Amino acid sequence: MKRFQFLLAAALLAVAASSTAATIEMTVNGLVCAFCAQGIEKKLKKFPATAEVVVNLEHRLVAVALKDGQDIADADLRKALTDAGYTVKSISRSETPIADVRERLKQVQP
Amino acid sequence: MVRLLICLCAVAVAAAATAKPIAFAEGTTVMAEYGAGTMQELQIFYAPRFDYSVGAGHVDFASDVDGHREHISYARLNWLAHRWNLDDAQANIFIWGGAGSATGDRFDGTRAAGNAGFQADYETRRVYASMKSDLQRSSEFSDRIDTLQLGIAPYKHDYGGLATWLVLQGRHYTGELHSGIETAALLRLFKGGAWIEAGVTNAGKVQAMAMFNF
Repeated sequence: MKRFQFLLAAALLAVAASSTAATIEMTVNGLVCAFCAQGIEKKLKKFPATAEVVVNLEHRLVAVALKDGQDIADADLRKALTDAGYTVKSISRSETPIADVRERLKQVQP
Repeated sequence: MVRLLICLCAVAVAAAATAKPIAFAEGTTVMAEYGAGTMQELQIFYAPRFDYSVGAGHVDFASDVDGHREHISYARLNWLAHRWNLDDAQANIFIWGGAGSATGDRFDGTRAAGNAGFQADYETRRVYASMKSDLQRSSEFSDRIDTLQLGIAPYKHDYGGLATWLVLQGRHYTGELHSGIETAALLRLFKGGAWIEAGVTNAGKVQAMAMFNF
């Protein structure tokens, strides 16, 4: 019985982990130059859960790819961007791989 | 004074290029500027946070009026007094002040010197405007440089790409360093953390600047 409970708990944990967002996308105001992007990228890469950061000035977008099963709280993201000197307008999460986000941004470049 | 402002505005019809004294939080900025033989300056700043940086600099002045020279080394605190993060633009007001020592060929020995200044700028990905005033003062001299820049980018750059700006600059010196208003046309390029800028003044002299953020 104990073994069954353990396996059930492990399975639930695995499901919870796999349901964690793969990518966080943030719309940011004040994002107008490469130096802005450089500072934001540097700040977000400090989170242990960050796998990759994509910054796109055209769409005022900052995307963070998360490591498997890990996450960053919205409040922590807002604080990181505010501490970098920028204003977060929105945060959304999806299962979209960061490569697809990058591809989407390329396709909608003016 | 009104005439001076009108002239500066007329001069500033094209580009961006006054570097910010704070690049980003936990970032180091190294700047070197060659100002047409009248001013040469080297600065290094470290920003513990996005809204202030500390560092040091050295500036050499060489008057093209009477040939006198001044050499000033200083420590400085830069403060981002206010920032507006708009949808597609950013505007800033920076204030700074510091202290150091100066030598020159119009006085003997070394003098204590102070410096203070401000910069107001507005930037989109296509247009940039900035106004900057920087004062170096001691018991022997008072040198202020007022710089107005306006820039236009021929295309919108994105992170990782090469940014190109065409810049017009108007500059006024006090302290008998230069008579009249010096104008310059500049080409500015930056990519990643590196920025270079070069051009010529109305007197045909070279003006150049390099900046690195890391």
